[in-house]
Amino acid sequence: MNKSTTTVFVVDDDAPVRDALRLLLRSTGHSVESYASAQEFLDAYADDRPGCLVLDVRMPGMNGLDLQDRLNERRAILPIIFITGHGDVPMAVEALQAGAMDFLQKPFRDADLLDRIAAALEKDAANRRDLLEIGHIAQRFEELTPRERAVMELIVEGKPNKVIAGDLGISQRTVEIHRARVMEKTQAGSLAHLVRMYLRLQESA
Amino acid sequence: MSSSATPASSVTAHAQLELKALLDTAVDAIIIIDDRGRIEQFNPSAERMFGFSAAEAIGQDVAILMPEPHRTRHGDYIARYLRTGEGHVLGIGREVGARRRDGSVFPARVSLGELRTGGSARFVGFVHDLTEAKQAQVDLSEAHRRAQSYLDLAEVILLALDASGRVTMINRKGCEVLGFTESELLGQDWIGRRVQESAREAVRSAFATYLESGDPELHANHETPILARDGRPRHIAWRSSLLLDDAGRVVGTLSSGEDVTERRQAEEEVQRSRDRLTHVSRLSTMGEMAGGLAHEINQPLTAISVYAQAGARLLKGDGSTDTAELATVLEQISAQAIRAGEVIRRLRAMVKRRPTERTTLDCSQLVGELITLAEPDARASDVVLQVNLVDTPLPVHVDVVQIQQVLLNLVRNAIDATVAAADAPRRVEIRTAALADDNVEVSVVDNGCGLPEQASERIFEPFFTTKTTGTGLGLSISRRIVRDHGGRLYCAANEPRGAIFSFTLPLSTEEHP
Repeated sequence: MNKSTTTVFVVDDDAPVRDALRLLLRSTGHSVESYASAQEFLDAYADDRPGCLVLDVRMPGMNGLDLQDRLNERRAILPIIFITGHGDVPMAVEALQAGAMDFLQKPFRDADLLDRIAAALEKDAANRRDLLEIGHIAQRFEELTPRERAVMELIVEGKPNKVIAGDLGISQRTVEIHRARVMEKTQAGSLAHLVRMYLRLQESA
Repeated sequence: MSSSATPASSVTAHAQLELKALLDTAVDAIIIIDDRGRIEQFNPSAERMFGFSAAEAIGQDVAILMPEPHRTRHGDYIARYLRTGEGHVLGIGREVGARRRDGSVFPARVSLGELRTGGSARFVGFVHDLTEAKQAQVDLSEAHRRAQSYLDLAEVILLALDASGRVTMINRKGCEVLGFTESELLGQDWIGRRVQESAREAVRSAFATYLESGDPELHANHETPILARDGRPRHIAWRSSLLLDDAGRVVGTLSSGEDVTERRQAEEEVQRSRDRLTHVSRLSTMGEMAGGLAHEINQPLTAISVYAQAGARLLKGDGSTDTAELATVLEQISAQAIRAGEVIRRLRAMVKRRPTERTTLDCSQLVGELITLAEPDARASDVVLQVNLVDTPLPVHVDVVQIQQVLLNLVRNAIDATVAAADAPRRVEIRTAALADDNVEVSVVDNGCGLPEQASERIFEPFFTTKTTGTGLGLSISRRIVRDHGGRLYCAANEPRGAIFSFTLPLSTEEHP
């Protein structure tokens, strides 16, 4: 994974902690952007920027959990590593349920943080690859005509051409032509491949 | 005066007239008897005093004027004197009983002299009626006795000292309290012997100053530890006046004293209980804030830890470590350690039990220091803590920890109230104001759930609480602390919602250092 194209975003209202984290992450080759409040980060961050977020839970104004909610609303996929003082178990549970990558208690060993950051960056890269792929698939599926789409939906249900022809009130030959067009437009190598792509689209919808 | 015959041998007519005038005008009874005791002269005062007329008395034995036993023995007295020349009463006055005609006896001072004129001896007696004088004396001793009984009945100690500080009078109560007899105390150097040594010099100089004032209108009030017989000090509250003689010179002091030892002990016990309670309440408040404070210490620890690990990575890196950057890291580590230490120092000050100690400082400093403790708690509850202080200096003379305890309590309550109100943004504001009456007002304003109307005074009662946790002591203790400082603690509704809790403190006239 390429550290130079990813950014570790740090949001902590405590300046020394923020500064120390920036120094630590820079010394390990990460590029770092740090913010003193959740709002500052929200205003500055563009969802397509890859990386991960190191986020303090307790902050005045918008706290870490609120920021997580806002990112989820925006469908931003940036993985979040929460850092917090001790005794915030209910908060940790809430954060993890809302999709947080991990939860680190302050003070922490640098290796623990760096491991989690590495994992988060990998996950972000995978997510983004995935997202990109789904985007491509969706694009291909969008090229289907309504008739082709109707045939495709019956194909992935596993129905034979004869049954599809009956269901749609068209000839079996016409079904065969549509089927070939579907496989061509979606670039599906096999029926199984088509089904897989179709299910991924369903899942991400 | 009788006109009876008088031996005229060597007396001129002129002298006779003078004698008659003398006898007639004398206040004392003058009686002249012959060598057998028979009355020869009996002046008008004698007539009034004894109830005999001169005519009746003259020629009678003078013994009729005497009660028993002298009445029967008088003849012998004269005979013995004439025989031996020894007289018990001649030439000297003597107090005797004298008898009136009606047989009643009265006290009298009798002076006798012998008249040697011609051959036979004659005697002259001057009789002074002591009835009134005796009565006056009886009255005086009665008054004295009564005064003494007043002194003794008094539930206060009464003590008179002369100008050198020696005891000239002490009543029974004083003797009882001290465990000495009156005679042991009379004449004693009071300050040197009875005042506890630690207070002795101060009392001695105060006594001297008081005597020098010479002002009988000036009353001195003071409390002094006095050593009783058992060696234990009794705390006596004195009120003193100066004693002046007729010439207006200061001759000593008169003091009334009350034994306040038990009261002082009780007061001290109450104070100790209050201190304990105050301390416990403070601990309880601090306990509620523990989460926030732990966070406040955790932050610098985190920074230290991360800085140190980053520094180590820099050193282990490619060998081209920037020493300036490392120096910055180390400085940061040090600064953060100091920051953590500062939080702990504040915490310790609040948690420690210590005696009350007042210092003069500015109100803004008082509030500023508190913010360190209150801020993390506010942040933990997602409350924005605002501080609004007036620019002008507002010096107050207070026990810093106690007043910060009050403030902390109010801030804690305000935070809880905003959390209870649920809707954001939660805001708590601390502000100061100078009031017109030389008081400072410190207010804690929140936009929380406000106070239930019927509870607005009850909230200051001990053990009253609207919270599910909490001792219910915070506000009652806070109000007491503020009162002890000469201020007031009160609350009002905030608009559009929430509450305002304020307390006042007298502006200190002392110059703020």
